[in-house]
Amino acid sequence: MFNLIRKDIILLKKTFMILLPVLFVYLTVGSSSIWVGIIFSIAIIMGAFANDEKSSSNTLLNSLPYTRKEIVSSKYIGAFIFTFLVVFMIFIGNLIIHREITVWKDLLFIISLVMVSTSLFLPFSYKFKSQYLLIASLVSFALYMVINNFVFQNLNEKMSELVGMLLALQNAQFYLIIAFFVISLYACSWLLSIRIYERKVF
Amino acid sequence: MENVIELQHVQKSFEGFQLKDLSLTIKKGFVTGFIGGNGVGKSTTIKLIMNLLQPDSGTISIFGLNYKEHEKEIKQRIGFVFDENIFYENLTLAEMKKIIKPSYKNWDDNLFDHYVKSFELPLTKKIKSFSKGMMMKASLTIALSHHAELIIMDEPTSGLDPIFRRELLDILHNLMQDGEKTIFFSTHITTDLDRIADYITFIHQGEHMFTKEFYKIEEEYAIVKGGIELLDRDTEKEFIAMRKSNHGFEALTANKARIENIFGEMVLIERPTLEDIMFYTKKGAEQYV
Repeated sequence: MFNLIRKDIILLKKTFMILLPVLFVYLTVGSSSIWVGIIFSIAIIMGAFANDEKSSSNTLLNSLPYTRKEIVSSKYIGAFIFTFLVVFMIFIGNLIIHREITVWKDLLFIISLVMVSTSLFLPFSYKFKSQYLLIASLVSFALYMVINNFVFQNLNEKMSELVGMLLALQNAQFYLIIAFFVISLYACSWLLSIRIYERKVF
Repeated sequence: MENVIELQHVQKSFEGFQLKDLSLTIKKGFVTGFIGGNGVGKSTTIKLIMNLLQPDSGTISIFGLNYKEHEKEIKQRIGFVFDENIFYENLTLAEMKKIIKPSYKNWDDNLFDHYVKSFELPLTKKIKSFSKGMMMKASLTIALSHHAELIIMDEPTSGLDPIFRRELLDILHNLMQDGEKTIFFSTHITTDLDRIADYITFIHQGEHMFTKEFYKIEEEYAIVKGGIELLDRDTEKEFIAMRKSNHGFEALTANKARIENIFGEMVLIERPTLEDIMFYTKKGAEQYV
């Protein structure tokens, strides 16, 4: 199975080469490490997914000695590895550029949010197609705006407050609960994707 | 004799198409050609054999093993070639090898290098830029580099020039020398089979018509030509299908000896080509619908 992750890395080699300098540019300009981390991680994870989305790639992978379970699992484990890679780069980047040590809470926040997004994106993409993700995101965003404007009025502020609050929290128990929630979601999503993929016809 | 592939009562339906109660066996150590028109279920059958599709009912076993418990073991021992490019277009053949090599236990770099050299394949050019023939050679190189016992090919000769088609058949012929390998390949260029196939499996409209030894087909089947006056309700039944014209009839029989008995010297009996058999079988199937 780790051969499959290695394959993703070989396929994404050029993407890494482009993204890495861009990541450092963002950090130099002083953009929020959290958002840069999330966007870059998701871009890499979905890039790896899109590479294998063509039916010819599915034919290849399924004809090689891999099970469908392994093919899906490689994406989930790969997502984890790629996120850690990005977080590590951000840590190193901040250390070199700003001579500061990134707060571990920020890093954890990136990982959790990427895991939550991946949990939603991957089963959706296995079921439909990753190209519909954009449409789905736009629809969700429109919904969010509608709710923001008509129901809560100031959802944006509340969200930033919530994020600030989460990051300011000291309570270890609370972090455990969040971690538990994120990991369960990830695991469920993983199982769901396997189920979807096992029934797929190429 | 050992069976490498066994399909028993396999059913698979899609919208507008169905494989009906397909049972077939492919014998170890031989080349089996898989023929049938377009859209009769050749690719579906191959996908079922490769476990790219699962049957609605029935059982499939490869090397006597089932896919449910032995998927990886089975696939370790299969080499595959498809009619479309399934490699990543933006990679070179060397990179592609880097990806595929670790998935096989028996990968053999010497073999790979040998085929790359003899096919004159470029290792550092993107696969995107390969011609149809080069693509096929590349697929074949990968398929042959891990000592696969069973080679499955879906239309490997389609779109190839006649020279390379012959080369390909020679390579396959050489592979068969040790008697350990089995080749199963679909084609609609039936002349390819004359050179190499030991067995012919013929399917039509999702149904298995026959799997027979090539030479037996030539012994059993015959094209019969004669005058219209020879035909009546009884004699017409002796044929799978026929074509009538003002000058006479031409028909296919699956029982050459019987026809010789009935008509004797009054008809002309010729050796049928696989194309004749395919053509008349299709015609015959349509008549009875």
